[in-house]
Amino acid sequence: MGESGLLVAPPALQEEPAHPAPQPPGLLLVAVAVIATCGLIYELIAGTLASYLLGDSVTQFSTIIGAYLFAMGIGSWLSKFLDGQLLRWFIRLEILVGVVGGCMAPVLFLSFEYVASFRLLLYTLVGLTGVLVGLEIPLLMRILEHRFPFKDLVARVFTFDYIGALLASLIFPLVLVPQLGLIRTSLLFGALNLAVAGVVLARFPETRPYRRRFTTGIVVALGGLGVLFVFANELLAHTETLAFQDQVIYSKSTPYQRIVLTRNPRELRLFLNGNLQFSSADEYRYHEALVHPLLQALPQARRVLVLGGGDGLAVRELLKYSRLTSIRLVDLDPGMTQLFQHNELLLGLNKKSLLSPKVQVLNADAYQWVREDTARYDAIIVDFPDPGNYSIGKLYSAAFYTALAKRLAPGGRMVVQSTSPYLARQSFWCVAHTLAAVGLHTIPYHLYVPSFGEWGFVLAGPDTHWRGDAGPLPAGLRYITPATIHDMLRFPPDMSEVPTEVNQLNNQALVRYFEEDWGPYVH
Amino acid sequence: MKTRRTFLRQTGAALTGAMLLPALPGCAPGSPLAHIKGQLWGPDAATGHLLRDPSRIPAPSRTVETEVLIVGGGVAGLAARRWLHRHGQPNTLLVELASHTGGNSAAGHNATSAYPWGAHYLPVPDVRNRELLDFLQEIGTLTGYAPSGLPIYSDYHLCHDPEERLNISGHWQEGLVPAVGLSTTDQQQFARFFKLIEDLKAARGRDGREAFCIPLDHASADNEYRQLDQISFADYLVRENFTALALRWYLDYACRDDYGATATQVSAWAGLHYFASRKGRAHNATGADVLTWPQGNNFLVEHLRKQATAPLQTGTLAYDLRETATGIEALLYDVATRQSTRVRARQVLLATPQHIAHRLLATVPGHALLPPGALHHAPWLIANLTVEGLPQGPGRPLSWDNVRYGSASLGYINATQQALQQEDGRSKVITLYWPLTEEASGPARRRAYQTTYAEWLPRVVAELETYHPGVTKHIQQADLWVWGHGMVAPTPGLLWGPARAAAHQPLRNRIFFAHTDYSGISIFEEGFYQGIRAAREILATASSIS
Repeated sequence: MGESGLLVAPPALQEEPAHPAPQPPGLLLVAVAVIATCGLIYELIAGTLASYLLGDSVTQFSTIIGAYLFAMGIGSWLSKFLDGQLLRWFIRLEILVGVVGGCMAPVLFLSFEYVASFRLLLYTLVGLTGVLVGLEIPLLMRILEHRFPFKDLVARVFTFDYIGALLASLIFPLVLVPQLGLIRTSLLFGALNLAVAGVVLARFPETRPYRRRFTTGIVVALGGLGVLFVFANELLAHTETLAFQDQVIYSKSTPYQRIVLTRNPRELRLFLNGNLQFSSADEYRYHEALVHPLLQALPQARRVLVLGGGDGLAVRELLKYSRLTSIRLVDLDPGMTQLFQHNELLLGLNKKSLLSPKVQVLNADAYQWVREDTARYDAIIVDFPDPGNYSIGKLYSAAFYTALAKRLAPGGRMVVQSTSPYLARQSFWCVAHTLAAVGLHTIPYHLYVPSFGEWGFVLAGPDTHWRGDAGPLPAGLRYITPATIHDMLRFPPDMSEVPTEVNQLNNQALVRYFEEDWGPYVH
Repeated sequence: MKTRRTFLRQTGAALTGAMLLPALPGCAPGSPLAHIKGQLWGPDAATGHLLRDPSRIPAPSRTVETEVLIVGGGVAGLAARRWLHRHGQPNTLLVELASHTGGNSAAGHNATSAYPWGAHYLPVPDVRNRELLDFLQEIGTLTGYAPSGLPIYSDYHLCHDPEERLNISGHWQEGLVPAVGLSTTDQQQFARFFKLIEDLKAARGRDGREAFCIPLDHASADNEYRQLDQISFADYLVRENFTALALRWYLDYACRDDYGATATQVSAWAGLHYFASRKGRAHNATGADVLTWPQGNNFLVEHLRKQATAPLQTGTLAYDLRETATGIEALLYDVATRQSTRVRARQVLLATPQHIAHRLLATVPGHALLPPGALHHAPWLIANLTVEGLPQGPGRPLSWDNVRYGSASLGYINATQQALQQEDGRSKVITLYWPLTEEASGPARRRAYQTTYAEWLPRVVAELETYHPGVTKHIQQADLWVWGHGMVAPTPGLLWGPARAAAHQPLRNRIFFAHTDYSGISIFEEGFYQGIRAAREILATASSIS
């Protein structure tokens, strides 16, 4: 860029030490403080975003800061190759920093869904910003070198630099993140860089030859950042950040549901249509309880069917049984299974379970699929969303369980996630009674999952042979032991069995119970 | 609560919409309905009307023979054909004017769903209706019997919950009986009416037979009940002091729903029969439940058709019938090939509406058929709308049957109700039912036949807008079907006057009659019953001859 600009005016004209205007050098020192603040803010934004989006804040902050500082070093080194109209280079640089740094947070937020390249994009942006910021101070020092004695120059520039750094480190956590959020903070500081460019452009007479062209560029860039700033809320609303307590790091609407992932320093949470599906902090309790009471009692089990459970967390538990030869997972939504097959953060959580060669992932509507399937399974794990509407209610009906029971191999058994026996007591027992109504022997049990509360499951099979201490459990479980299984079978009086109707397609009793049970909690 | 004034206003709006028609050619580019695709369907009235002037039909070019010629492939004709097939008389030939058999139980389908073009449900039947229960068991609708002896119906055929909702002033309540904003008097009248129905369900005449039942020929002859056939349902309700507006709306709705006629047009016996004859019982359902399929009762008639292998010709008009020394001779016109065939048969079953039978027997003496025009058949408009998204108001969610209090149409059913897939926001098909009862059936029918698609569409869309404001832009396709003779209405005196029973008396063991017109009530059970009755009459003559 700017090859022709370099030729427009001889160097001697713009670097005129003989008539230093008293104001501009002071102005440039203020600019030092501003650009230093901006530079540190970008670094903080990158670090915060990386730990929001990727977790493990110590590692993320440490590597981001390292990469950023290293990139600044590269920038400083590159500064020696900039010659000629230094002020002009500086203005260019400020415009670039303003655009790249300002857009960093929005770009990273919006691109997180394309997770495969996210780290690359993150470090590219961090590197680019670092290089540009690294160019700033050396360039400024060279612009000012003839206006101050060297010792004054160094003292003043670094004083303002560190003042800016202090300012940034204080206002970032105390004012900016709480008041503006990351996206607007990023945009605001991009605008400050542009403002520095604008002020320098206006106040230094030697910029006159290219003033108009640069002014246009600055105005356009400012306008772009301004529009993003104004619509940042819409951008955020799009990612539903406002509806969730924690930072939304992923959100996507599929034809079936809205998938939202949030994270805070402690945990990652998955929401489907606003309903919490798991928290990474305690999902092991849920998934161990879902899988192991069933599997430990089936020493001959080879083939397993999982309905729902597109997060692969139940499959992760299943893969702890090396005797299993085939696990077939049927989940309605390719949006879910693809997310949990490709997102590195989530692959860490499900231990890449859905990529195991033993696992076959099918995206199909479970009801029709089960009616058409001809295979038999030793274990069936049913992990559907709660029966909150009439469409899902059909997947908890006696007719569905009849079709499902036909898929059990001799001696096979199933387990059904059955909502909360404490918060939705009628619903829980309705599921148990519906399974019993199709001729299955049922074993209801429950446990405490901190992020959910009391949660319940129903084991069901053709006979009464199930035992909680039947076989060895896999090593390394954090919740399930034979003693825990024994405890889970006991229902205290406030969760004990209540009479209910059987859930049928033509009465949808369960959806009605569920509305009654949850009614007090949602209104 | 709906007031008379809002009702008038809405009616006024509908009328205004109708008057705008000439100026608003619906599908013209730029009109708000330009994005809606579709066309007008209906029975082939033009071919049917050839009957009025058979001289335009070419002379027969060939002759075929059969034992029993069945004219008419509706429920009665198909039921008779099946019954004859199973009981020693497979040598039949059924001819049907339309391109499909099944009569009013027609159906269509598109990429989204199958949908009904007419009859679309069967109430859980009376357990004593042996023939019907056996049929339902053969086709998998009835899956077995509980130890109590009660039938168990397939969960996939019983209408899935939520079944019915009613929109009152923009709010959807559960069930079709108005429950919102009723005064104490209104509530008392509803309670009194339903108590009356419970009593009538249990009531028996002095002859020991039930006061109300299906088929209605099995009902008591006791004059205490039959005299209710002499007065209109509306007069009866006034006499019995059932005056609450909401109750009257509900009962009028019921009459329009089952008979295509208003409470003023049908007899009190028929009005009460709608409720008091619903005595179905099942192990896993109640008499209030219904069996339904995406394609409606086309599911039933397709099975009826498949359960016999005798030849069957659609697109064929029977236009002349005369007696011969050995039986009967009929002339058939094939609409597709434009050729005529002579059929020699030992016997003929006229499973057509009475006015068709009357024309066919123009030269045949001795019948007691009612002349054309004697029976009231209201024209119907059915609209199948493919909608992508349906803006919902407050209250209950989309149900199988969705009705608005005071609406001109009967509301719509959700053809995708029985779907097992998860709701994915993709399109669904809804079927709007609209009996055209505002004027006498003759003029209404003529007007209906003359109305074009571009004229119907704004009316249909305006009606649906009263259910779901803003729905127009969600409508992708709107196909319409006009039934000229929708269904017979049990007008006062029809059911228990002497003429109805006399009309279906066989002629000289050669000509037999079966159709819901001979019941006076057009429901699947009656068509099925009429078909089997006539088939038994035919079989009885065969056994008496042999």
